[in-house]
Amino acid sequence: MRRQFVKCAAAAAALALAVTACGSSEPAAGGDGGNVTLSVTVWNLAKTPEFKALFDAFEAANPGVKVQPVDILADDYSDKITTMLAGGDKTDVITMKNVIDYSRYSSRGQLTDITDIVKKNDTSKLAGLDSFNVNNTYFAMPYRQDFWLLYYNKGLTDKAGVKFSDGVTWDEYAKYAQQLTQGDGTKKVYGTYHHTWRSVTQAISAAQTGGDQLSGDYTFFTDQYNVALGLQKAGNTLDFGTATAQQADYRTMFETGATAMMPMGTWYISGILEAKEKGESQVDWALAPMPQRPGSTGVTTFGSPTAFAVNKNADDADMAKKFVEFAASKAGAEAITKVGVVPALQTPEITEAYFKLKGMPADELSKKAFTPDKVVLEMPVSEKASDIDTILNEEHQLIMVGDKSPAEGIKSMNDRVKSDVLS
Amino acid sequence: MAHVMTQQAPTADPSPSAPRRPRVWRDTLIGWSFILPNFIGFALFTLIPMSAAFALAFMEWDSYSTPEWVGLENFQKMVGDENFRVALFNTLYYAAGHIPLTLVAALCLALVLNRKLRGVGFFRTAAFFPYITSLVAVAVVFNMLFNPTAGPVNQLLTALGVADPPRWVASTDWVMPTVIVTSVWRDMGYYMVLFLAGLQTIPREYYEAAKVDGANAWQRFWSITLPCLRPTTFFVLVLLTIQSFKILDLIQVMTDGGPGRSTLVLSLLIYREGIREGQFGYSSAIALVLFVIVLAVTVAQFRINERRSAT
Repeated sequence: MRRQFVKCAAAAAALALAVTACGSSEPAAGGDGGNVTLSVTVWNLAKTPEFKALFDAFEAANPGVKVQPVDILADDYSDKITTMLAGGDKTDVITMKNVIDYSRYSSRGQLTDITDIVKKNDTSKLAGLDSFNVNNTYFAMPYRQDFWLLYYNKGLTDKAGVKFSDGVTWDEYAKYAQQLTQGDGTKKVYGTYHHTWRSVTQAISAAQTGGDQLSGDYTFFTDQYNVALGLQKAGNTLDFGTATAQQADYRTMFETGATAMMPMGTWYISGILEAKEKGESQVDWALAPMPQRPGSTGVTTFGSPTAFAVNKNADDADMAKKFVEFAASKAGAEAITKVGVVPALQTPEITEAYFKLKGMPADELSKKAFTPDKVVLEMPVSEKASDIDTILNEEHQLIMVGDKSPAEGIKSMNDRVKSDVLS
Repeated sequence: MAHVMTQQAPTADPSPSAPRRPRVWRDTLIGWSFILPNFIGFALFTLIPMSAAFALAFMEWDSYSTPEWVGLENFQKMVGDENFRVALFNTLYYAAGHIPLTLVAALCLALVLNRKLRGVGFFRTAAFFPYITSLVAVAVVFNMLFNPTAGPVNQLLTALGVADPPRWVASTDWVMPTVIVTSVWRDMGYYMVLFLAGLQTIPREYYEAAKVDGANAWQRFWSITLPCLRPTTFFVLVLLTIQSFKILDLIQVMTDGGPGRSTLVLSLLIYREGIREGQFGYSSAIALVLFVIVLAVTVAQFRINERRSAT
């Protein structure tokens, strides 16, 4: 009896494992003869309009092809794709949400080498392509490039007499923040708002000083921390502790006029356009380049690209390659520009088209802000990036809540990264 | 049922009961069939995953490649891991605050609400309410209450003349007390119900007799209520201990381990190392250590309780 039970239990367990392991890859539905279906992984399809815009454009350009999105919850995207690829899933095109995942998948040999189509095309204007270069081989091609710039509330800056010029330094930025801060209590309008992410302070100083966030020596963060803490101490920005405690939403901060300036990524442009279109916000906004270090030439900021790759097990690799190439091309760029997303392909015509969108600011400085001279990758690609990121984030919090001075915080970053990760 | 479960399996004792075999078999089968639905669920979703996790603690696995046997390497790594030490200390800190405070608060509430008051039903429900409130809502509301600049708590303290009130969740020194207060508030209603049930089993005659002998309220509490409540107190203590060591949800929503690492607890570390970093072997090793700690504390509590009951 007992032995029999064990047998039964084993059978049940095996069955359960088999059931959970095999729930993947639906067959490519042919439907009405000769039609091709191309499957593409995406996140939050309903709230990420660029996907539908691209798919519609691709289908229009390739009659008889139907794009089948595989929709995945944004927060689970990396985990889900990792599992799908590990299980031999046959989805044709895999969207690379970030560069760190790309390096994982490509090093495991799960993506198809598409160096031929990268070389075939003129990629001189394709921003962010370098991030996908693995020993002169490419497994993905970027179609979207986000980078950071300075949003400001024109109504508030005009009232305070602040006029942005080309090439604002961090000191001038702090002075503007002082001039723009007014009121008290719940009615207070802050000069600027630094969101709680570490990149707001750390990635920008790495980009502008040339520092390496994987190096284990973080003295190059010092100046930027002094700027951020100075603003906080003077009450010209919502302090970090309060922002964390009330889980401050940067969109609300800017759209309700609670802050006059805000450094943020370009992805937020489509957010503002949508909020204004729906009448949720009346903010009169414009863009300026990120403030720079004194004496620097040109505009340096940071950002990160998004790309499409072809699955090694793709059902239809040729069509998948065609899609990747299309997304990075002029036609693809035009399609996503229409929904307010910044394409990786940056030509004057595309920028022109972008600024013709309804609700976009029309001034020259905004356009200038849109074409920075140099965009440095937010976090360099490495298998150690994730561990280092955790440490840098923890010490960032301690510095920002005033528990450690920048010097002490940076010292612990150096010590911890060296002893826990690099050793 | 109890008879069936304690019955020896027939294959274990061959000759003496051989003639009665079919009957015993049938009994055993019936017994199995009763517990089978529950056992299958338990085995599939608890026993097998737990055993697998314990095995994983001795392996290196990123959920992608084949697991690799590494022996005690994960445990060696843990000894040198500062995050683990910080998390262990924070877990103990949390338990040391949460267990006694919740116990005392729940007992006091139960004593107050055990009287014949007008509207006692309402107050009992009110005290139980925090426990059934969504945890995310609790975390958000307490974060607002303890907001260092605009929160009502600090506004009150300032009004009372405190010049430099604590910065609560924005301070590494105060964040753990804040989390403890929040969780005490949330949990005390549940344990109050357990205490109330315990209080109602104490015969009224004891109190009457004590009163006749001239014992005051404190003496009655100390010599009658507390000793009679011991089984309940023990049960509450065991539940509280296990709950405290496993704390994850409230901290995840309220502080996410911050500022810095000041509220990083073991469960949060397990989650981070496993799900976020994909180091399932190391994560399982930490889970195993947490399991052993909880088991040791609980066993110790049982031993102490047994010894006390014996005297």
